[in-house]
Amino acid sequence: MENLKMLSEAIINGDAKKARELTQQALNHRVDPQQIVKEYLIPAMDEVGRRFECNEYFVPELLIAARAMKGSLELINPILASRGDKPAGRVIIGTVKGDLHDIGKNLVASMLEGAGFEVIDLGVDVAPEVFVSSVKEREPNFVALSALLTTTMPSMKQTIDALQESGLREKVKILVGGAPVSQRYADEIGADGYSDSASGAVGIARRLIL
Amino acid sequence: MRFKLISCEVFYREMCYTISQSPNQVDLEFLPKGLHDIKASLMLERIQDRIDATDESLYDAILFGYGLCNNGIEGLTARKIPLVIPRAHDCITIFLGNKERYLSYFNNNPGVYFKTSGWIERGTPGKEFDQLSIQRKTGLELSYAELVKKYGEDNAKYLYEELEKYKDRYNTFTFIEMGIEPDDRFEKQTREDAEKAGWGFEKVRGDISLIQRLIDGQWNDDEFLVVKPGYRVIANFKDNVIEAEPCKSAEQKDNK
Repeated sequence: MENLKMLSEAIINGDAKKARELTQQALNHRVDPQQIVKEYLIPAMDEVGRRFECNEYFVPELLIAARAMKGSLELINPILASRGDKPAGRVIIGTVKGDLHDIGKNLVASMLEGAGFEVIDLGVDVAPEVFVSSVKEREPNFVALSALLTTTMPSMKQTIDALQESGLREKVKILVGGAPVSQRYADEIGADGYSDSASGAVGIARRLIL
Repeated sequence: MRFKLISCEVFYREMCYTISQSPNQVDLEFLPKGLHDIKASLMLERIQDRIDATDESLYDAILFGYGLCNNGIEGLTARKIPLVIPRAHDCITIFLGNKERYLSYFNNNPGVYFKTSGWIERGTPGKEFDQLSIQRKTGLELSYAELVKKYGEDNAKYLYEELEKYKDRYNTFTFIEMGIEPDDRFEKQTREDAEKAGWGFEKVRGDISLIQRLIDGQWNDDEFLVVKPGYRVIANFKDNVIEAEPCKSAEQKDNK
């Protein structure tokens, strides 16, 4: 399918309009939506992640590629949902209490979505009890916590502690990230995964869900 | 006692004032405020470089006008004389005089942007830091016109909204008055900035006594970390912010 290769290209280049058009065309031609996701969207976002890791792409390129991908997914997801197809996993993501920064969190959310995960974004300044109630309600595989400031990093620990106290800790894998966060900190607060980049977070989520 | 002080220029007036009042003799070296915009490892490199360039035989200790500053001092290593560092997340603790006061203010006002004389008059970014800054390097600092040129009108509009929207969550300029300002020019400037941005304005009283204790050599363990020769600074993620570990154990960890 020549057109579908162009779909991958459109996503890599952040051409949202074209990505949407090509997706609609493919669906009209009865291409299996799962095939579109697995063979074209996910590999396109993997390529975007690779370019980001190699400093060929920067934050803007990542954001517009994610936007193009989301446009495609908006057409595809309702079909997948109506057939009862399951996503790769479900992630609840948010910037922890006291922290108002979300660019990094949004990038991770987009990369996870691009990798086929269902992402529920709770936004910024999310209190531990909000994470707890969302986990209860939505039963995700992952909880992803973001912080940009060393002053708000303790909120990550408080969130993990709150999940522990509610008896939910063993039901989810916890991912942490953000500029001042390190593997050492992740280990210390008992997180399951840490990455220093948005595309790295995808690799960790894929590994932990097995 | 004779000390060397290596400080961020954001404390320019506070350090000069305090040193003039101190019984100790203090040689002062300021480093650019732009260091806080670059990668932590590069910030560390610049500061360590100033330690290593110091003739340590002249001094009893090297003092620092820095907090943890986004891990920019993590790894700072004492060579032949101790390093003395305030236990602070960043400069705001040092301006407010203690870390508990900063955290309680911050927790109640997450959307605050702080201003002091140093934040206003220091650190017009030099070319060097413009290029090295994380904002620049990750492509977060492009103007709308630059975004249009690179990504087209439609994507530029989207990017501009995405990259700027965090600013909407800030809503207050808080001016920290240290009591050493010549007049109300810095306060006035902050009020004007707040008005222009449509933000609230608040004034709080700073507390220079933490800086005074640093300079005077009154280093209680609750407020200051004294890093002995052969040790280096690490963030400890606890209430006292930083601690020292022997360099040997650090090397073992690095080799793992």
